[in-house]
Amino acid sequence: MRMFRRTGAIALAALVVSAFMVVPSPASAQTVQTRAESFIATASARALNLSILNLNVTVGGSGIQMTSAPAGKATGAGVLLAPGTISTVEATTAGQALAPPKACVVDLPLLNLIDVELACGEARVDTNPGGPQTFGRGSVAAINVGGQQILALLAPVLDVLTPLLDQVLGTVQPVLGSLLGNLTGPLLTQLNVDPNTGLVSSLVDGLKQATQLATIRLGDSTSQGITEPGKITATANAQGGQIDVLPGLALGGAPLLSIVVGSAKATSVFDRAGGTSTPGFDAAILTVKLGLPILGGVTEIPVKLGAPLTLLAGTPLESTIALGAGTTTRNPDGSVSSVADGVKIHLLKGISGGILLELAHAESSIGGNTQLVEQQKIVEPVAQLAKTGGDPWVPMAGFVLLLAAFTTRRLVVARPSGNRRPADH
Amino acid sequence: MLINLLRTHRWIRVSLSGLSVALLLGGVGLVGYPFFTNAWQGRIQAELDDQLVSPELQQAYKERKVETGDSLTRIRIPALDVDVVVVEGITPSALRAGAGHYPATALPCEGGNVAIAGHRTTYGRPFGNLDQLKAGDTIDLITPIGACQYKITKNPWVVQPTELGIIAPTEDKVVTLTTCHPKGSAAERLVVQGTWVQDIKAA
Repeated sequence: MRMFRRTGAIALAALVVSAFMVVPSPASAQTVQTRAESFIATASARALNLSILNLNVTVGGSGIQMTSAPAGKATGAGVLLAPGTISTVEATTAGQALAPPKACVVDLPLLNLIDVELACGEARVDTNPGGPQTFGRGSVAAINVGGQQILALLAPVLDVLTPLLDQVLGTVQPVLGSLLGNLTGPLLTQLNVDPNTGLVSSLVDGLKQATQLATIRLGDSTSQGITEPGKITATANAQGGQIDVLPGLALGGAPLLSIVVGSAKATSVFDRAGGTSTPGFDAAILTVKLGLPILGGVTEIPVKLGAPLTLLAGTPLESTIALGAGTTTRNPDGSVSSVADGVKIHLLKGISGGILLELAHAESSIGGNTQLVEQQKIVEPVAQLAKTGGDPWVPMAGFVLLLAAFTTRRLVVARPSGNRRPADH
Repeated sequence: MLINLLRTHRWIRVSLSGLSVALLLGGVGLVGYPFFTNAWQGRIQAELDDQLVSPELQQAYKERKVETGDSLTRIRIPALDVDVVVVEGITPSALRAGAGHYPATALPCEGGNVAIAGHRTTYGRPFGNLDQLKAGDTIDLITPIGACQYKITKNPWVVQPTELGIIAPTEDKVVTLTTCHPKGSAAERLVVQGTWVQDIKAA
């Protein structure tokens, strides 16, 4: 019994001692000098910026920003002044995929100046592995520039004509010429008024029948940030649209002036392997169609870059069209930006300052640093695949030692043969 | 004869007694070694569990500054009921956590080859039954900033320890698991490879 107790005590001590023998030392800190990839990308686009009677309205706007954090923010707005058409979403940590429902408003009147038929904003952000990805879109179906305040722009014309109401048109031809220039003929033709017999009042009534000054149909404005294994791309795209000035005024129902604007696109790309950034753009393409019968029906007029086109010069309806260019910029820190300017149109300059429209503007920028590649890490070279197996002799050796311990102990506690106690009888 | 000698020479008896104690200590230590490593690994895993979800580690992971021995990702192999935290590095001390990430390989869920080594008979033996995996089984990696799933493309196979090609960079998203083979030996390595299937939500 005593032997069992002693053996047990020894075994317990062995357990404690051996536990200390096998307790591992804390993992040694190995300094690995690496640099995480970092980048920031932005893009924004607007389909239309409208300035009329000191009111500025941005229609069809979008924007994104994303970083390597990973984080991302996206905005899409049908009309920047109308909260119901704006969708904004932001992800500040990894593992988020956010896509709120589209924000849309149908038939949106703004201050009796313009009426937006359908305006929507949409935004999405995803910061899951492989990301971030961001997307913003602003869209509108159509914009009607009209209303009483807009029609009041014609007041100066009407004021001049009012004292002449009962006079025959032919007798006030110089006055009409100073007001309407070479539009006089087409207008009278359109309104079925004979210059020889018709009265000024007929012309005024005709002008009063106008319901709107312009109709604008716009494409979507999208801003997108895309992360791919080899590159990160920030793209802004304003898809342009068509502006019809005095729609239905000219012959055949065509607008007096029709301006078709192509898409403007700005792209900035970051090469994740090389660490270089590249800007690029596609400037808007512009087509102007003038619906004046005096020019032989609908006429297409080319507009050259850097050479603004002025139409109906000298009349209250004078309009200037300037085709924007594209630019790229490379900064000292390696970041780049690109701008695709769309078209700037100043309509009806002679009427209370007219209407200023900037269409299809897109810009993007990107910059960043690559992740240091693995070869630059201070990492011990691996000579062979990690050794994760035990040594098979260890437990076997343990049993041998236990057997030896038992044998030795038996020798120690054994009594000599000549000294054995005789058996009791 | 020997016993009589022990009786007449007390110093021999004392020496043998001491020797038996030493042998007993060594024997118990060696036999109990795997059990001690398992217990120790369990203790480390509890700490690594907490570390894996800490904001500090998340930041370090984003900056790729996870140090050797720190939590890197969780690996789940449903077919083997494996669910352990993998640490950065394959040094002996790091691997006492059970499984470690080859530092020169890609990070989990990112492009390239993610290589992970795991013990087979000691330190919790997370890869003890790696040979039972088969093509089609899945491997989930849950990092501090995301999670993804890989699918095993072929049954496990055995390579020599010097065949480093299996952890070489790849264009596709691949995960490579290695462990020693056969069980209890480090003569060879057992390898399992899977390809990325999808990103998943970290549970």
